[in-house]
Amino acid sequence: MPKSQFIDPTDARKKSEIHFGSIPVNQYSKTLKEEKKIYSKDDFLRIFRDMFLIREFETMLNLIKTAGEYQGIPYNHPGPAHLSMGQEAAAVGMAYTLSVDDYIFGSHRSHGEILAKGLSAIHQLGEKALMDIMEVHFDGETLQVVENGFKGDTKELATDFLLYGTLAEIFARKTGFNKGLGGSMHAFFTPFGVYPNNAIVGGSGDISVGAALFKKVNSKPGIVVANIGDASMACGPVWEGISFATMDQFRTLWEDPFKGGLPIIFNFMNNQYGMGGQTRGETMGYDMLARVGAGVNPEMMHAERVDGYNPLAVIDAFRRKKKIIEEKKGPVLLDTLTYRFTGHSPSDASSYRSREEIDAWEKQDSLLAYPADLIRSGIATKEEIEAIKMVVVESIVKALKKAIDDSVSPRMDLLAYPETIGNMIFSDGSVDKMEDRTPDALMTMEENPRVQQLKKKERFGLDKDGKPHSKLKTYQLKDALFEAIIDRFYKDPTLVAYGEENRDWGGAFAVYRGLTEALPYHRLFNSPIAEGAIVGTAIGYGMAGGRVIAEIMYCDFLGRCGDEVFNQLPKWQAMSGNIIKMPVVIRVSVGSKYGAQHSQDWTSLVAHIPGLKIAFPATPYDAKGLMNTALQGTDPVIFFESQRIYDVAELFHEGGVPEGYYEIPFGEPDIKRKGDYITILSIGATLYRALEAADILKEKYGLSAEVIDARSLVPFNYDLVIESVKKTGRIVLTSDANSRGSFLKEMAHTISELAFDDLDAAPIVVGSRNWIVPAYELENFYFPQAGWIIDAIDQKIVPLKGHISGTDFGDESIKQRNKKGV
Amino acid sequence: MAEAVFMPRLGQSVESCIITRWEKKKGEIVAEGDVLFCYETDKASFDEIAKVSGILLEIFYEEGDEVPVLANVALIGKAGETVDAFRSSASTSAIAELSPSAETSNSGSLLVAEQNVVNVETPSDSKIRISPRARCMAQANGISLQGLQGSGPNGRIIVRDVESVGLNIPKVEPFVPVSTKPVQAVSVPAFDPISSNDDYVESPLSNMRKLIAKGMHASLQNSAQLTHHTSADARKLLELRAFYKVRAEKGEIPNITLNDLVCYATVRALEKMPAINSHFLGDRTKTFKKVHLGIAVDTDRGLMVPVIRNADDLNLKALATQTKAMAENCRKGNVDPELLRSENASFTISNLGAYGIEIFTPVINLPQSGILGVNTITYRPADIGNGIIAFIPVIGLSLTYDHRALDGAPASAFLKEIRNQIENLSNDLV
Repeated sequence: MPKSQFIDPTDARKKSEIHFGSIPVNQYSKTLKEEKKIYSKDDFLRIFRDMFLIREFETMLNLIKTAGEYQGIPYNHPGPAHLSMGQEAAAVGMAYTLSVDDYIFGSHRSHGEILAKGLSAIHQLGEKALMDIMEVHFDGETLQVVENGFKGDTKELATDFLLYGTLAEIFARKTGFNKGLGGSMHAFFTPFGVYPNNAIVGGSGDISVGAALFKKVNSKPGIVVANIGDASMACGPVWEGISFATMDQFRTLWEDPFKGGLPIIFNFMNNQYGMGGQTRGETMGYDMLARVGAGVNPEMMHAERVDGYNPLAVIDAFRRKKKIIEEKKGPVLLDTLTYRFTGHSPSDASSYRSREEIDAWEKQDSLLAYPADLIRSGIATKEEIEAIKMVVVESIVKALKKAIDDSVSPRMDLLAYPETIGNMIFSDGSVDKMEDRTPDALMTMEENPRVQQLKKKERFGLDKDGKPHSKLKTYQLKDALFEAIIDRFYKDPTLVAYGEENRDWGGAFAVYRGLTEALPYHRLFNSPIAEGAIVGTAIGYGMAGGRVIAEIMYCDFLGRCGDEVFNQLPKWQAMSGNIIKMPVVIRVSVGSKYGAQHSQDWTSLVAHIPGLKIAFPATPYDAKGLMNTALQGTDPVIFFESQRIYDVAELFHEGGVPEGYYEIPFGEPDIKRKGDYITILSIGATLYRALEAADILKEKYGLSAEVIDARSLVPFNYDLVIESVKKTGRIVLTSDANSRGSFLKEMAHTISELAFDDLDAAPIVVGSRNWIVPAYELENFYFPQAGWIIDAIDQKIVPLKGHISGTDFGDESIKQRNKKGV
Repeated sequence: MAEAVFMPRLGQSVESCIITRWEKKKGEIVAEGDVLFCYETDKASFDEIAKVSGILLEIFYEEGDEVPVLANVALIGKAGETVDAFRSSASTSAIAELSPSAETSNSGSLLVAEQNVVNVETPSDSKIRISPRARCMAQANGISLQGLQGSGPNGRIIVRDVESVGLNIPKVEPFVPVSTKPVQAVSVPAFDPISSNDDYVESPLSNMRKLIAKGMHASLQNSAQLTHHTSADARKLLELRAFYKVRAEKGEIPNITLNDLVCYATVRALEKMPAINSHFLGDRTKTFKKVHLGIAVDTDRGLMVPVIRNADDLNLKALATQTKAMAENCRKGNVDPELLRSENASFTISNLGAYGIEIFTPVINLPQSGILGVNTITYRPADIGNGIIAFIPVIGLSLTYDHRALDGAPASAFLKEIRNQIENLSNDLV
């Protein structure tokens, strides 16, 4: 809500109409004779070679899947193979005009796109550049296999490398492009501009936008193409990605040279089926997919339907659309019409379509029509076409033989090195900045008004007599977050932050107050209310090489970006074979006072997912130190904050929060109060209720409690907690998460396992009730209170003399509640 | 499907019952409500009623067999039904319960066998609700779990219950705040630094002292012990002692002390009246078939009670030799710690006669049921026959016993038996 843009009620309420322009459908009509002006004979034949190579590659996979052999070579591939036979012209046409700097993102059906883009890159790259790329990739491990017994030139070697790397990846070999961890649906090779394909329909719909954002913000050459299927048009992430990509602010508010549309083409590979559902006529209502562009922005996304059965029509469209992007008028929507002959997967009997329909499309197969045209127009002879085919088949046989040979293409040896995959889940990097250049800023950090204001604040919460300073004069937790974040903005030029209300408002909880003045739009901006796209674009931004803080305001909104948080963000580092880094920090805030959909602590949901680091500081000192660590790292972090404690002062760290930079490593809990009779382990804001409980234990029962703040959930070093439990023999765990399936239960179980003989009672979890969060006035019956901790101790650990419990932790209640499911 | 007939479980303490009589025979038709068999526990007899009608297909235990509770005793079903599946489980569990060593010869899996063995050995512990930490603490400090009162949730024994036994803290309510540091007050005085002034010296306890303190305190707190005193005519004793002394000085035999003779006499009494040669284990007693005699030995480091295993197998010479060697090992500090565990002795003798003690009340080493205190020899007028009253030497005997384990009359009878044995020691023991 920038003040610079006035919403004039008179104008807004004026009577008028919206006019839509026309959207071209299959308008390409050039003849081969005309195209000869653009393409050489080699070009024409290369287009055929690329198309045929894809066809033969997938024919091979199809035969392996369905007949168990190809060219007499037997093999069993139990994994997936979603084939795109029939779609080759669309893939090759898409890739033909793209430069190496242009990135493509794909779907589960993207073998063809990987090969097409790879071949296009090989064609463009010089011999030295190609050798460098191949030698660097996993220290030449893949190249070594390809080079063995190879005869020919560097381009042919690179082609073999592309075929073998892709196939070995599909067959889960260690020598594959991603060490076999990506597989058929995720294979990619970034040096050729091939970015991750995605097994979740529409998964690339917002991630690719983030990569385009990276290119724009960091002034990188090239565009991004999101190759997604027609059925993904129905998916939230795709709509959200389109919404994000078409934000007005790119043209209205961003300053030069960053002004202008995002460099991205949403290329819908429209094979007219989503699994067995027919998109046009059954599952969608758009009639023609390209129509959707009309509703998105006044440019109608430059939408167009292209005949994807003619490679030259597709090339023509991409050439024109690329120009639009270069003029900063993107993004673009392309509806590339095509058809797949095979089923969704080899197990699909195509019962949802008639043989007649398949036959009709097969008759117009581009692999028949295009070479026939070349021969008919005298561009090539039948023999030349056949010769190309023979070379391709030979290459594929060669790649297959190598890819299935366990001696040259072994799988990961998890027997000898059982932790190999475990060691790839996080990259654990420590990197000041993702690129080395001066960060864009509107003033120096010292000039920043908030920075100056913070200089005057008391950095420890209590004065020398132990009395609290006034709130206004005290440095608070939100200031600590701000300090870490602004520091990184001036260190790392790639760092951007966005989300809802991030700019002028300063973030809904005032963490970013002061950043608006300091940073240009392209580094700090408001996003649409589209949590899927906020996180999805952050993933793409990180993947492409940038560092990003995405904020989704309330923790509850994690549900809105479930796929991004659960399936995308945590997976790509390992699925890439550790080629990709993911320096993405997602800020989420646990609310209170706002009822059932704005008050939930969902740490447990994300902690369950392998591949995410989870922090939840409860003090200013920890908040700054952990945020610094999150922003120095190269791993995805879900950074939890609590709205109950944005204004707390530092009460623990001697000397208050340091002004300088420091890091607190993830995984190290902290003793906030020493004690020896019982341990209380808290996550997040419950620290303060744990301390209150410790006070009660001391004053009323003469027991000293050791209070430990977990600070982070993943990773977590249990040493300190176990040491404490060995001393006390008793532990209560508390957090605001509802107790069923809470991460506390995981911790309680692990503590039982590691310290069983030292326990005087089972570890007891004091979490929230398994209800909806009620209204603020009733919250004390929902969220754990200090008194609950005492009650739990009295009922489950050591009966306290004279204590009368207010809450029931009895065995019978536990059973009854579980029986009822609450 | 045939129905198994199980030996009922009659309360927690009953582990097995004896079948006294079968009222039905194998193959006989039984109706629901018919008496199948009669059985008894150590306390009473019962009838087992058929819960279903049918044919008594199989009987797994005969009259007089001791059957573990919940074991499959018989099978009622229809004619022709197979009984094999039931048979194996019945016999396995019987073997496991009654003779763990037989299990290894069985073809059953070793794992199962081991589990069963463990169950047999610690049936009492598995029934006690106790926290892992409290269990470890009790073990480390040699505190018996028997008799510990649980003050935790659901009566679970928790650390404070063990501490209260071992650390002399009022039980169950130790956490009344006394000052600003009540918890510290609870914890171990042993770590206090040595302090002194003109009036006193404060010293930390040695570990040995701590163990003795805990054991003795636990004993007085967790048992119902009392002491009976008597004395025995010691003329025979002194006669033998004088005789052996001469022979020992000649090197013919090892030195045999008065204590050795009393021990020997006590072992004979225990053989004859084994009720007190036992451990009291809360819900049951364990009466030993052999005598494992604990002998209290005073050492520089404190009291030790090593055990002479199978003392009933030893003649007087062997008993004397072993006792001497054991006492020396204790004083040197190289005794096998296993031999010092009170669980490993079945009865203890403590002799303070050398100190001129005339009467004392020895403290039982739990879980043993009794301890004999041996006092000094005094002279007392007695009718020595023919109406002549004269002073004769008598040796004082003080028997402390756990009234939970046995009553006054049998305890007195046992003490009388010791006196009898002492007064009638044979002349040809060596």
